[in-house]
Amino acid sequence: MADRSFEGPRRRGWMGALVPVAAALALLAPAAAQAQDGTITGVVTDAAGQRPIASVQVHLVGTSLGTLSRDNGRYIILNVPAGDYTLRAERIGYGSVEMQLTVAAGGTVEQDLTLSQQVLGLDEIVVTGTAGAARRREVGNSVTQLNIEEEIVGPPQNVDALLQGRVPGMSVTQSSASSGGGAMIRLRGNVSMTQSNQPLIYVDGVRVRSEGFAKNVPPVGYSGRSNNDVSSPLNSIAPQDIERIEVIKGAAATTLYGTEASAGVIQIFTKRGNVGQATWTGQVNQGVARNLPFGPDPSLRPPSENPTSLSGGRSDFLFINPWLRGRKPMCDDPIVVEGQPCDSGLFSDMGAWQQDYAMSVGGGAETVRYFVSTTFGNDDGVLPNDNEKKLVLRGNFTFSPREDLQLQWNTSYTNGRLGHTAAGNNAHGMTLNTFRRDRNYLNDESFNAINPFLNQEITTQLDHLITGLTATWSPLANFSNRLSVGYDLAQQDNRNLRPFGFIRAPAGIIATSRYEFNTLTVDYVGSVDVALPRGIQSAFSFGGQSITERIEETTAYGEDFPGPGDPDVDNAGTTLGFEDRTRVVTAGFFVEGKFDFSNKYFVTAGVRVDGNSAFGSDFGLQTYPKISGSYIISDEDFWNESWGSMKLRAAWGQAGRAPGAFDAVRTFNAAGWGGVPAFLPSNVGNAEIGPETTAELEAGLEASMIDDRLTVDFTWFSQNTFDALFSVRQVPSLGFTGSQLANVGELANSGLELGLNYTVVRNDSWSWDLGGTLSLTDSEIISLGGAPEFSIGGYGWVIEGQPAPVIRAYRISNPDAHEDPIVVQDSVFGPNQPTTIAGMHTTFGLPGGITLAARAEYQGGAWMSNGAQAAATRRSVRWAGCFEAYNIWETQGYTALTAEERGRCDVQHYRSDFSIQPSDFFKIREVSLQAPLPDSWAAMMSASRASVTFSGRNFFRWVDPAMRTLDPEVGGNVGYNTRVRSMLEHVPPPAFYTFSLQVVF
Amino acid sequence: MTNNGTRKILILPVALVALLAACDTEVVNPGRVQEEFLFETAAQEAIVKGIGRGVSEAHNWIGYTSAAISREVHPSGSTGSFGIQVEWQNGELDYETIGTHWNLSQRARWWGDDGIAKINETGAEDQKLLGEAYLWAGYAYRLLGENFCNSVIDGGPAGNRSVYYDRAIAHFEQAAALTTGDMATAAVAARASVKAFRGDWAGAVSDASGIPDNFQFVLPYHDGFGNPTLNRIQFASQAEPYKAHTQKFTKYEEYSLSENNPNGDPRVPYRVTDETGDAAVQCCGQVPWWPQDKYQDSGDDIPLSKGAEMRLIEAEAMLNAGDWQGATAKINALRAAAGTFAIEPENITEAWRALKFERGVVLWLEGRRLGDFYRWNRDNTPGGRHPLETPSGSQDVGSHLVQQDLCFPIARSEVDTNENIDGPTG
Repeated sequence: MADRSFEGPRRRGWMGALVPVAAALALLAPAAAQAQDGTITGVVTDAAGQRPIASVQVHLVGTSLGTLSRDNGRYIILNVPAGDYTLRAERIGYGSVEMQLTVAAGGTVEQDLTLSQQVLGLDEIVVTGTAGAARRREVGNSVTQLNIEEEIVGPPQNVDALLQGRVPGMSVTQSSASSGGGAMIRLRGNVSMTQSNQPLIYVDGVRVRSEGFAKNVPPVGYSGRSNNDVSSPLNSIAPQDIERIEVIKGAAATTLYGTEASAGVIQIFTKRGNVGQATWTGQVNQGVARNLPFGPDPSLRPPSENPTSLSGGRSDFLFINPWLRGRKPMCDDPIVVEGQPCDSGLFSDMGAWQQDYAMSVGGGAETVRYFVSTTFGNDDGVLPNDNEKKLVLRGNFTFSPREDLQLQWNTSYTNGRLGHTAAGNNAHGMTLNTFRRDRNYLNDESFNAINPFLNQEITTQLDHLITGLTATWSPLANFSNRLSVGYDLAQQDNRNLRPFGFIRAPAGIIATSRYEFNTLTVDYVGSVDVALPRGIQSAFSFGGQSITERIEETTAYGEDFPGPGDPDVDNAGTTLGFEDRTRVVTAGFFVEGKFDFSNKYFVTAGVRVDGNSAFGSDFGLQTYPKISGSYIISDEDFWNESWGSMKLRAAWGQAGRAPGAFDAVRTFNAAGWGGVPAFLPSNVGNAEIGPETTAELEAGLEASMIDDRLTVDFTWFSQNTFDALFSVRQVPSLGFTGSQLANVGELANSGLELGLNYTVVRNDSWSWDLGGTLSLTDSEIISLGGAPEFSIGGYGWVIEGQPAPVIRAYRISNPDAHEDPIVVQDSVFGPNQPTTIAGMHTTFGLPGGITLAARAEYQGGAWMSNGAQAAATRRSVRWAGCFEAYNIWETQGYTALTAEERGRCDVQHYRSDFSIQPSDFFKIREVSLQAPLPDSWAAMMSASRASVTFSGRNFFRWVDPAMRTLDPEVGGNVGYNTRVRSMLEHVPPPAFYTFSLQVVF
Repeated sequence: MTNNGTRKILILPVALVALLAACDTEVVNPGRVQEEFLFETAAQEAIVKGIGRGVSEAHNWIGYTSAAISREVHPSGSTGSFGIQVEWQNGELDYETIGTHWNLSQRARWWGDDGIAKINETGAEDQKLLGEAYLWAGYAYRLLGENFCNSVIDGGPAGNRSVYYDRAIAHFEQAAALTTGDMATAAVAARASVKAFRGDWAGAVSDASGIPDNFQFVLPYHDGFGNPTLNRIQFASQAEPYKAHTQKFTKYEEYSLSENNPNGDPRVPYRVTDETGDAAVQCCGQVPWWPQDKYQDSGDDIPLSKGAEMRLIEAEAMLNAGDWQGATAKINALRAAAGTFAIEPENITEAWRALKFERGVVLWLEGRRLGDFYRWNRDNTPGGRHPLETPSGSQDVGSHLVQQDLCFPIARSEVDTNENIDGPTG
């Protein structure tokens, strides 16, 4: 098998690129101090436990001198000219402190610093969901803030993995083992039945594409000749570059984002560099990925089955393990044939190698700050052709040329190269043809028969540029203006080749597609602070925003190559071209007023008005109002200080989701008919179509108590989406067979979210934090507006009075009886989205600065179809998930089978509906152990500090016993961009085991 | 700051907000064609070809599924995209599983009428082109009439399927009047088949008699070009990827021209391979894959009307009149022309059986067999069908029809959306 990884000159080019980058970084670093006049040193400790605190920014106010504290809390500022200074120490999650001190020429000042934790962080600044920035105490809605250095221990593979299991009310689901595959993200469940529920993504204030990239599949023939998963733009961001992430979950918080924001907003803030000398950070991650079993143990097989397939495949991996990195059969197994990859012993088949390297430098002075970084990863997937190479370059620069003007320019460029193995529901795919064994499309399960499926080349190159320039001008003390121009440009180059002689397409087929996704955002916000009578402080904000999104695709397709070789489309006997272009424009403006009563009571009210090119010609503009309030009850005189601190909050607001670019107009397809033009009816059209609008009311509290050892974050929410865009099925005898979107429906979501953190122990040497999150969500279709019930695929239905969506299908009413199935039509199983998500986490601080952190997640209440099982059973495949039933059948006779077993495993009673299963699961998302290296070891590397981390992710799983194969997070053929979760023939996402070394210079 | 300066400072943000809010959100995206353009004469040819394409898409689904139900082909595994669903393998046409068949057939019918209305409203630039539109629309109605249990027109209530016959005949009359050459001949031949279906044998024979023996009018299919209309029967029987059906366990297994039977009837050819179907079927496990060889390319056209069918209409009219010897002569003339042996029925029942067999051969895989089954059953004609075409004849061999629905019901997609239909019918 040829190695399909990218190699050669390009790799050297990337590595070569690091050299000038490093040189540029060195130039940016402030030159070594010219005069070594003095030194300031000391230790930064936590006021509560007297534990040393790392990564505290310690700097001299008004100078460019500063540093970060090490893991042992020690800091040192060299080359300080003699004089008087204000020394300031700052770290997220702590209150800042300032000290006045004097440095004598050539002297050393020893100054220890003690910081107090701000557990509730009422004066932390949040920016997401507010017109400008706001202190947390002023914000009436729930905002989750993840401070990455503070909260993340192990190195995550990507941003999806970073978010998984951390935010109450958020589910992050990766749908396959495919390299670079993105994750479906849901905040508080679904707010739309027909439009995207993926939250909007902003990076440093720049709107970026939030939907997945395009699937790599030819435009002709079956739409599944692919790896059948897609990448996420979110993962263009290197986790190492992120300073913090803010998440707002519903319309009450996202009103100012207007149309498209009803599913929530995730805003990522990257590092900007700290005042002081250049801080270089290098990181090396090495690890492996390997799958947990996802099928029944071979010991459950019926007597007629051999322990393995002819290729050495086992039922616990649905017989694909001979091709899975880390799970191959032993080389001394006689079933292994010549040329077959195998496990020869220790270290020969540990898993898919993951290697990532990162380097960054940050620093600057009061007027200029910078953060420049580069990250390179070369990660194999568990499937043979899977690999992701990713290079990320970032440069963030902050200039303050005048006291009243700040310019911030943040740019990242990501180059990703992906190689994939054909998977999913795909007759030309590796996974389907191994899962179905000798009843596959070859009628042959041997290694040499199936292995040629790897000759399909599915490669993707992604170039993603995100750049934004923000100018903040404050001409008056009470008046500021922020103008941002952001541009998100992603270019995707897909190549999908089944070469001449390919086992299922002997003449060969090729498709190359070029996509361009770009989003141009122009955003202005002005804020005026006004003092009102009776001591009321107020701030009025106003602004406008224009967002233009373009998607352009051109595809060349060819089939029938003249012979072997490395072809391009030109070589094909038949060639075709395809083009698709859409542009959607949103423009709007808003005003917001914020009122502060005694720094204790806060009220915010605002409104946004939007127009959108996808609205119908008769629709006009859409208005989204909002109002919120917060109350710092712990600032009241009656509040006993020993009770801790508490904020009560409530918010109500609206946000929307626009229809698709063509939904408003009545159209006909130019279908063609044998080379002559031909029209066919396409879309009925709806001139009155507008956005669906979600109104949300949420209320909750944030509190810290028991000497700040316990923090509580509680939110209740109720969402109501009205004028919901439902797919109104058309009467087929009226000619248009598809559905037409119309603003006819109404659906509701309600639930609660609880986050708890408790510090069990905190002293000089030890600490133990324990916490959990719980989110409960219920959804319901309130009204179909007179439209008929409609399916959204995968047995997901939209039905009045049922969850949104609900799984409805035929059900066996006598599952446990030893008789043939009795079938009930149109039976409701339950929701397709989880109704309960519970997270658990704990962190131990051990002597020597060692940290042990663990995190787990449970999701329950959802139902989904196992399409891989259904497709196999209806073809009379001996499906591994039925081994238990076959065993009973063969050893005790057919009469011993229950109705459920007969319906699920005997094609005589088959219905695909019988593959619907509960999808409850529990996973350990992460266990990480981080330890600082001794200073002497760091010094050997000329570093100021160094640490190592061992982490394992998703290495333990429990699933509902009814789900006998695959994994509840596995998806279908469209990757994570699906409205209904259902499983097809994919290898589940693997577990990751990573060792990381981080060095700070 | 002076008042003047402050005013200047404030003008800038106000101007910016106004600029952003005033952005033009009017966008026309290329690609799909808006309806207004279809009222231009330049669009008329594409409308007519679109009507034809609509018929070809509908016929593609009806033809394949009805071939499975009537056991012109036997399932050999695949149940997905180009496969035969388990319900169809069992002979069941459930109203939930035939949505695509209904939707495409109704779209073809509606688009025929709507397209003709658009052309007439704009003013037909070419009468022959208008006639072609009537011809395709007529075939859409014939497809519905021969295969669906009930009629529904434009969101109305369920009615008798004869509504389709009447409309088909009216359209074919218009087509015959407006076109010339093969299209005009096809219109008359198609009208003959509809008249025969409704039992107007005199009218059918009158129309059929003018059609030459070697006449054939086809429904075009296309492969390899953008958005092709693949011949589903051929595509699904290919080695790659589907091998979804076989001639094993059909009446053609021992009768047709094949490697096993070099003297078989060349009109119903198939190939013998040592492979099995792409999966397995409940009745028979992994079934030998002996694919049909009538359509050798997924761009092969499917005949809609031909002279041989006309001769069989004439023969059937004779049987209805009791002239079984005359009918036998008609049949044997066809068989001789095809280069196969003559049949020798000894009574009218055997002659009916021979005619039913012969129609199966002449119209094999052309989407007509299920309609024939329906009308013979409706008219209680003598002479049974081959055992492998019936549930009762398949107990110890492969066909394994649990039941055999003889027409497609109104689909759930119509039942759920059409307020004039109360519930499942058919």
